[in-house]
Amino acid sequence: MVPPVAVSPLIKTARYSALIVGIIYGKMRYDHLKPIAAEERRIEEEEKKAREEHERIAKQLAEASEDTILK
Amino acid sequence: MAQAVQRLVGKVPTLVNAAVTYSRPRLSTFWYYARVELVPPTPAEIRKAIEGATNLVKGYQSGRLAQTTVKDALRNGLVATEVLMWFYIGECIGKGGIVGYNV
Repeated sequence: MVPPVAVSPLIKTARYSALIVGIIYGKMRYDHLKPIAAEERRIEEEEKKAREEHERIAKQLAEASEDTILK
Repeated sequence: MAQAVQRLVGKVPTLVNAAVTYSRPRLSTFWYYARVELVPPTPAEIRKAIEGATNLVKGYQSGRLAQTTVKDALRNGLVATEVLMWFYIGECIGKGGIVGYNV
């Protein structure tokens, strides 16, 4: 087997510091994005309720103003 | 149904044994290389790394970096890309998922 190569210390430090910086960055970005997504979901819920309310009222009006007696 | 499950459960030890026999030599080669190439840097090596970084900066300032051959430049580019990939792996670990943030 090919003997293992002696990696230069600069490359080793760069790799592991990139790994640690990446972990920190991922955690910080996740913590930043989580409340924003929760807020968006809440707003979506409210708008959906308002929209469904309007649709229900519109449907009732449409049904009430139909002229056909065939149902 | 119960018999099929029993037969499956009976096969599990053989499967586990087969997996272990398959992976053991490969794991040992991996360990053989990783023990030298993938270990984190010791504090002495960190100091040497800082020296290496300052050497790079001095080389850039003195114009020595303009003398690198294309082959060397490509090799260094590949090494830099690999270091960049370690950053993305760290990001995947930090955000707890592979594709996208599970918010």
